[in-house]
Amino acid sequence: MTSEAPVKHAVRVQVNERQYEEEVEGRRLLVHFLRETLGLTGTHVGCVVGECGACSVLLDGSVVKSCLVLAVQADGRAVVTIEGLERNGSLHPLQESFVSRYGLQCGYCTPGMILTALDLLARNPRPTEDDIRHGLAGNLCMCTGYMQIVEAVREAATVLAGATPDLA
Amino acid sequence: MISAERPQGTSVGKSVRSHEAPRHASGRGHFVDDYRLPGMLHAAVLRSPHPHARIVGFDVTEALGLPGMVAVLTPDDVRSMSRPFAPGRYAAGLRTPVPEYASAVDKVRYVGEPVAAVAARDAATAEDALDRIVVEYEPLPPVVGTSEAMRRDAPLLYEELGTNVPWRGAVSYGDVDAAFREAELVVRDRLKMHRYSSVPLETFACIASADPTNATLTVWVNAQVPDVIDDALREGLGLRDVRIIIPDIGGGFGQKIHLIRKYVLITALLSLKTSRPVKWVEDRSGHMMAGGHACAQEWDVEAAVQRDGTVLGLRVRETDDVGGSISTLTIHFTNKLNNLFNTYTTQHLSLEGSSVVTNKCPVVPNRGIGKPGMCFVWERTMDRVAQTLGMSPVEVRTVNLIPSDQFPYQTPNGNIYDSGDYAGMLRRAMERIGYEELREEQARLREQGRCLGVGLAVAVEPGGRNAARDLALFPGIKGVSGSGGVNGATIRLERSGMVTLLLGSPNCGQSHETTTSQIVGDVLGLSPDRISVISPFDSEVAPWGSAAANSGNNFHLYDIGAAHDAARKLRERILTLAGHLLNTDPEDLVLEDGAVSRRSRGTPDQDGVGPSHAPSPHSPTPRLTFAELGRVAYGNQALLPKGFEPGLQETSYYTFPHAEPFVVPDEQGRVRAQFTFSAAVHIAVVEVDPATGEVEVQRYLIVSDNGTIINPSVVDGQIYGSAAHGISVALGEAFVYDEDGRLLTLTLTDYGKSTALETPRIEVEHRPMPSPFTTLGQKAAGEGAAIPSPAAIASAVEDALQPFGVRVRELPLTPEAIWRLIGSSAR
Amino acid sequence: MIPAAFEYSAPASLDEALALLSAHGDEAKVLAGGQSLLPLMKLRLATPGHLVDLTRIPGLNRIEQDGVPSAGDQRIPVPVASRLQRPMLSIGALTLYCQIEESTLLRQACPLLPQTASAVADVQVRNRGTIGGSLAHADPAGDMAAAALALDATLRAVGPSGERWIPAAEFFTGFFTTALAPDEILVEMRVPVLEGWTTTYRKAAPRASGFAIAGVAVCLRKGPDETCQEIRIGVTGVTERPFRAHAVEDALRGKPLVASVIEEAAEAVAEGVWIAEDVRASAAYRAHLARIYASRAIQGARDADTPGGLSTGL
Repeated sequence: MTSEAPVKHAVRVQVNERQYEEEVEGRRLLVHFLRETLGLTGTHVGCVVGECGACSVLLDGSVVKSCLVLAVQADGRAVVTIEGLERNGSLHPLQESFVSRYGLQCGYCTPGMILTALDLLARNPRPTEDDIRHGLAGNLCMCTGYMQIVEAVREAATVLAGATPDLA
Repeated sequence: MISAERPQGTSVGKSVRSHEAPRHASGRGHFVDDYRLPGMLHAAVLRSPHPHARIVGFDVTEALGLPGMVAVLTPDDVRSMSRPFAPGRYAAGLRTPVPEYASAVDKVRYVGEPVAAVAARDAATAEDALDRIVVEYEPLPPVVGTSEAMRRDAPLLYEELGTNVPWRGAVSYGDVDAAFREAELVVRDRLKMHRYSSVPLETFACIASADPTNATLTVWVNAQVPDVIDDALREGLGLRDVRIIIPDIGGGFGQKIHLIRKYVLITALLSLKTSRPVKWVEDRSGHMMAGGHACAQEWDVEAAVQRDGTVLGLRVRETDDVGGSISTLTIHFTNKLNNLFNTYTTQHLSLEGSSVVTNKCPVVPNRGIGKPGMCFVWERTMDRVAQTLGMSPVEVRTVNLIPSDQFPYQTPNGNIYDSGDYAGMLRRAMERIGYEELREEQARLREQGRCLGVGLAVAVEPGGRNAARDLALFPGIKGVSGSGGVNGATIRLERSGMVTLLLGSPNCGQSHETTTSQIVGDVLGLSPDRISVISPFDSEVAPWGSAAANSGNNFHLYDIGAAHDAARKLRERILTLAGHLLNTDPEDLVLEDGAVSRRSRGTPDQDGVGPSHAPSPHSPTPRLTFAELGRVAYGNQALLPKGFEPGLQETSYYTFPHAEPFVVPDEQGRVRAQFTFSAAVHIAVVEVDPATGEVEVQRYLIVSDNGTIINPSVVDGQIYGSAAHGISVALGEAFVYDEDGRLLTLTLTDYGKSTALETPRIEVEHRPMPSPFTTLGQKAAGEGAAIPSPAAIASAVEDALQPFGVRVRELPLTPEAIWRLIGSSAR
Repeated sequence: MIPAAFEYSAPASLDEALALLSAHGDEAKVLAGGQSLLPLMKLRLATPGHLVDLTRIPGLNRIEQDGVPSAGDQRIPVPVASRLQRPMLSIGALTLYCQIEESTLLRQACPLLPQTASAVADVQVRNRGTIGGSLAHADPAGDMAAAALALDATLRAVGPSGERWIPAAEFFTGFFTTALAPDEILVEMRVPVLEGWTTTYRKAAPRASGFAIAGVAVCLRKGPDETCQEIRIGVTGVTERPFRAHAVEDALRGKPLVASVIEEAAEAVAEGVWIAEDVRASAAYRAHLARIYASRAIQGARDADTPGGLSTGL
């Protein structure tokens, strides 16, 4: 336990379509791996015990809380973080709708919220307000009262329904 | 004097594209934890497991032996390396000074109180080290409730004070006793609000980088009020050169004003001790235990009432449970001066307060501080008066509302309400919610055993702090200094033609960058997207004054005032320079779309100068772009007018120009607690499941007056968010302690924070009544809906449970609490 | 909020995993989806010295009927225990909540499982959490446990000396404890296909995504004239472990399924049981909710229009 050098494990993981190979301690959480090892600070930490959703990322296409995944568990898998959504300098339609509909205030919950909404729209491209609220129940926002977030997701659904579906 | 005309093509009043949102939506926001400095260490804080204990022994040997460990900060270090905090304005009522250090040095007074800290090569090692510090405590009996704390034989939190009630005080306006003698009846109640907070999603975070070689210290911190940090570091460490950088803040709501200073100081001490930058990020359970709670408040209320519903006077006795610190002893009492008379014409009121220390987390400012409590007192009382007199709650309020023709209205305690039409708002709210139909629906459902309820609350939302307010309570007390408020803004037309704006206060999600870009954009005839508002806040760069606070609803008054004034000054300079270059009287120039040109033909005051005549010898056209002006102002001495100082930068410091009368208290204690008064009517429609006590909020309507609206989406967002918080607070958010003083709600789930599912859809209708006193008629919007929403929910739940004869006297209304209310009435 | 250091292994086979568990004894802990274990480790309430991650073992993530995988799943031969005669559904221990929620086979053959899975926490947890992890963690408020009890599920555990089948009714032995030996791994849950039964799961939770204060899963077979022919009720959140509400079942069997009868029967749901008390609910309120939710869940099952079972015509 108190040995000088903790055992490290190799992690080969694709993040935002880029391949990384790093050595990590077993206890390294995926969220800390993304933020500190890879410098992708768009993924935020709000509680580290899986209650706030701020650290949500896509793991093999499904939204998960990256504080509830060990970095070693991501070995061989693909991760998408908020930094991976832009294309050629343009915001993803979901990001754009969070901007245009004021779907954020302090911005701390926003990356997790957007990735969760992305997962929701991939499964359910035409969600009702109730579907959206259910889909976002794992992501806390202390600023907005969720009103403009729901509106933003709704607007993105409309935009995406009319657009080519390769974005998610 | 240069033309004072308002530019055309205004963006004020529009939801322009947000300045802040793109960086946050793309993961480019910069929060403290995102920063890394070379050689940086990571800190962790050791917290007390006891609610009340004496520290008798301390052993750090094992912790220091851990590989990767660098330093431990012990109570002895804290005592020798730093000075205790000076009692600030939040503790202005304290008569005997009690030294309070950044961490506990002799006693712990709440679970989670910091007792030591470590710095290590990484955060995991720092946490591992905490397990290896041995602290020997001598546990003392915990004092958990206020009544227990007030008992004569209660164990004392502060032996040096000789009491657990370090402050008692009172204010009285009008002739309260006479009002009660005159009254036809007296309505009494006992009310309570609980401990909650806004639990910002980003916890406290700080990086301290000390350079002992020249006695400088830089901190990056997510603090809402730079002043608090500045004072803490200068006084605590005796440093003169302190630089505070405040990047994006992941939500503040008051939580990040006060207790955060302890941790900044601890982190700074670790940096001083190790000569390396140190980062500390609070963990969630630490925040829940020790990040600060809103005060639990209890009131005995008596209202002197006439049979027509008029409330002649109000007598309130308040007990505040301030937790295990004297540093925020009086804030929840003093803040009640801000909305002491709410929206009502009552002339006689007394408020007596006792602040009681207990072995719980210290209280801190939170969205409105004591104002939600004062509103709760008023609005519960109004409902109680209505029930007593058999009147409708709408009628009782209508009888007492300040009539719209009495504005500006002076309250008996010296507040001057700038503008308002409270009765009109109430009428509109009733109409929009369909009040009569709801009552019919309620009757129908009651026959089926279903419990529909309609609740109502009316409130003012004060804005813009007056630093002299507390002199009304504590004349001559040292911790209270200054009056009014000052904050600045600097604006610069860059060589590139871009305009940059530097604000005097930090931003934690209220779109200050967007809003001010609209205001200065309009002054300069520039689209807001061509204005760059500088972040982060940097105390060595920002033009900040005493009102530089993301708090007190200060932004709308001080920051907007300063930004607007700075832009006006810059506009004059631009016109002077352009007039010279275009060889035209500045009066005949207009600013439009990032350029200065001659007024077009047909403009009434154009003075007969045609647009295309007499081009300046220095410019081929009668139009100069900002970039052209910038190049001249920063680089071409020959073209500058005589005596024109090069550069195009202006700074303005704003003080509220209408602060008199009562900017300082008069002999009767009348003082302007705040300077502007937004208002709102809230209506909640709920259905209560009488079998389980579960509440569904079916509709939530707010009719709101926030003065001139600069950006509707921003104002709506503030209202939605603060309403959602107040509703969640009323229906279940709570910090709960067991009888031994242990916090049971260490997680966001146990604390009961609402998700998107539990949060109702909120309807907002604006009825703006511009303030005659502010720059653009704007009023506050930041705390707003958090003030009346707890009262509105209480009112609705009580109304729903009317068949059971239930009285709602305290919050939160958890399903279990409601089930118990129903049960107690059935028995 | 960082876990204490531990050794980590991700064995590629069950045998390898069992060997690791045997080698490390009490120090070892099995990791599946990690949605419950990792928070405990971060709070340092659990400090295993060795974590054995099962997620790299093939074959543990599947949903099948009688050894036939549902569309899209890999076919894994399943040894059918001879005593299991009825049509059987087999769910691998590492099957995710979201897979259960979305499984066409389960929606048709055992709707209670998707109904319950969709009530678990939030989408992120359902995307990562596993049914086996949930059952083996044995949270006293676990949702899936109530369903397993109501379905009369059988759980297959594999240990150094071979495999054994544990009825769900015997699986939850106490507060966060199960019938599993420290060196055993839960690999599969089997439930019978319930022909003509209707099911519901209802829970009271302070927050929709939170743990149950009281959760009730019901499998009901109605006889003619809306009587209760057979009923099984699993209850969670109420006491130190999920349990079957036999008293309510007994009181209803053969009775007409009218509100008054159901409400009266539901009164017995927590009778003789120690009732948990915590910050979410007092014992009295929790017991009350258990009764109300039992009654509502039974009525919900009574009124459900799609009976579980195989496709129509059988």
